[in-house]
Amino acid sequence: MSARSERNAWVLGTTAPALVFLAVIAYLPIAYAIALSFFKKTAFNPAMTWVGLDNYRYILEEPDLWRAFWRSLVFTLGAVGLQLVWGLVSALLLNRALRGLTVVRSLFVLPYLLPSIVVALVFQWLLSQEYGVVNQILMQTGVVTRPINFFGGLGTAMWSVIGMAGWQYGSFATLLILARLQAINPKLYEAARVSGAGPLRCFFDVTLPNLRTTLIVIALLRGIWMFNKFDSIWLVTHGGPLKATETLPIYAYRLAFEDFDFGLAAAACTVMFLVLLVGALVYFKLFDPTREIEVGR
Amino acid sequence: MRAPTASSKLARYGPLALLLVVLVIVAFPFYWMLLSSFTPREVLFRPPYRFFRLDLSLGNYRELLFATEFLVYLRNSLIAAAGAIVLNVVAATLAGYGLTRFAFPAKKGFAFGTLFSYMFPPMLMAIPLYILFSALRMRNTFTGLILAHMAISLPLNIWLMWQYFQIVPASLEEAAWVSGASRLRALRQVILPSAKPGIVSVAIFSFALSWNDFTFAFILQTDRAMFTLPVGLAIFVEQTAVHWGMVMAAAVLVSVPTFLLVFFLQRYLLSGLRVSG
Repeated sequence: MSARSERNAWVLGTTAPALVFLAVIAYLPIAYAIALSFFKKTAFNPAMTWVGLDNYRYILEEPDLWRAFWRSLVFTLGAVGLQLVWGLVSALLLNRALRGLTVVRSLFVLPYLLPSIVVALVFQWLLSQEYGVVNQILMQTGVVTRPINFFGGLGTAMWSVIGMAGWQYGSFATLLILARLQAINPKLYEAARVSGAGPLRCFFDVTLPNLRTTLIVIALLRGIWMFNKFDSIWLVTHGGPLKATETLPIYAYRLAFEDFDFGLAAAACTVMFLVLLVGALVYFKLFDPTREIEVGR
Repeated sequence: MRAPTASSKLARYGPLALLLVVLVIVAFPFYWMLLSSFTPREVLFRPPYRFFRLDLSLGNYRELLFATEFLVYLRNSLIAAAGAIVLNVVAATLAGYGLTRFAFPAKKGFAFGTLFSYMFPPMLMAIPLYILFSALRMRNTFTGLILAHMAISLPLNIWLMWQYFQIVPASLEEAAWVSGASRLRALRQVILPSAKPGIVSVAIFSFALSWNDFTFAFILQTDRAMFTLPVGLAIFVEQTAVHWGMVMAAAVLVSVPTFLLVFFLQRYLLSGLRVSG
């Protein structure tokens, strides 16, 4: 075997498994789903009939899709906003109290790595209307007179889900922001203080500008993932009560597995995909994460 | 020395008090989960709920292990995770090696394609996989579930190994060639041992993503005998009278791997956290 063909065999042999897996289990299903959105296909009828843009016309004219879209937006903005605020506040506090950091940092890694099912079960128990400890505390301290139906109330369900997502994923923001804070050169603060800046000025003139990139990265990435979020919401509310928490992924799930209309579900997923595409393009354009690896070799 | 004024006291202790509040918010759900899991059923629902108690028992755990299908779900979760670990480690390690050691066109495309697929909506993959696996009779099989779990973890793992192999110096390998080793032998005896931390990270992430997955298992595994832990546990709370003590015992057991990872393998986790965004 010549050196050249041996080299080619190595290139192929090492990259092919990953490439084939990615193509077959990630890209093929996506391509299939997008193709499916142009067909009439139900669970009961194996035949696929070409219907052009009918599926899109149908769901885009349905108020349900738009309501789901707005709920997705509310959930995403609420959850990401909460995570950023939580991340910023907790990271600033932790950054001051550096001692015992490793233990505390471990504590903050935990929620992010917990399975969603665990978070969902624990929050359902904490916030239970009849037996929940949170309601008991609120009643005893006189904040409320009647227990709150957190996940089952029309007005409270969305906020409760946002709060839960904030608890689970906020620690991701904490860790990233904390890492960035510790990388800020202390001389910058000294210089600011010498020129007469108080703590507040230091925060706005030194801390915040240094955190800008980190905050944007967190907002974009978490935004994309929150927009796609199915498990956390489904586990605590199933999209209810009365669709109050039915976001786009849950809407698509219902079309596929409750109405058994795969064509419509695929169209809804494709709409979701297009929204995601915008977010992903902004992320790639702004940060080009492919810089992290050397592609020139 | 001047006596501390009220405002300087606030500046001193305010952040500390706030930090305490933040820590309680993070830690209390864990504490309550643990405490409830050891609280006997007879007293768990009897308000007022006490924040400390000593009348603890293992009754909930006994009931969970011997009166429910918890062990079946556990077995299924472990098989799926083991399969995902093996396939991910093999595919990601090979790819990482090939992508860093050889120059070939379309690498940037490969990098972009890998990262992009990490952002795919799970629902957009799960619905077509359901249809395809139905046609191929792969629903309710471990093969199908393992493949689905690879779809969520492989992109991240390729990325990890790609980055990791960049810091394994090529000179190590070249030295082995000079002393007469073939490329394969140098890979096996020199490169793989020095890439071990990266491989451990890949194994950890493959495990965690498979273990944590609800969406794919929920959609693909409809047969109760094939449920994984997250899907099986979701059913526990859909009954009319939820046995919360037992549910919390289940939550504790399912989070045990997370606790072990965080407290014993954190150095492997942090490298991955950076990559995952």
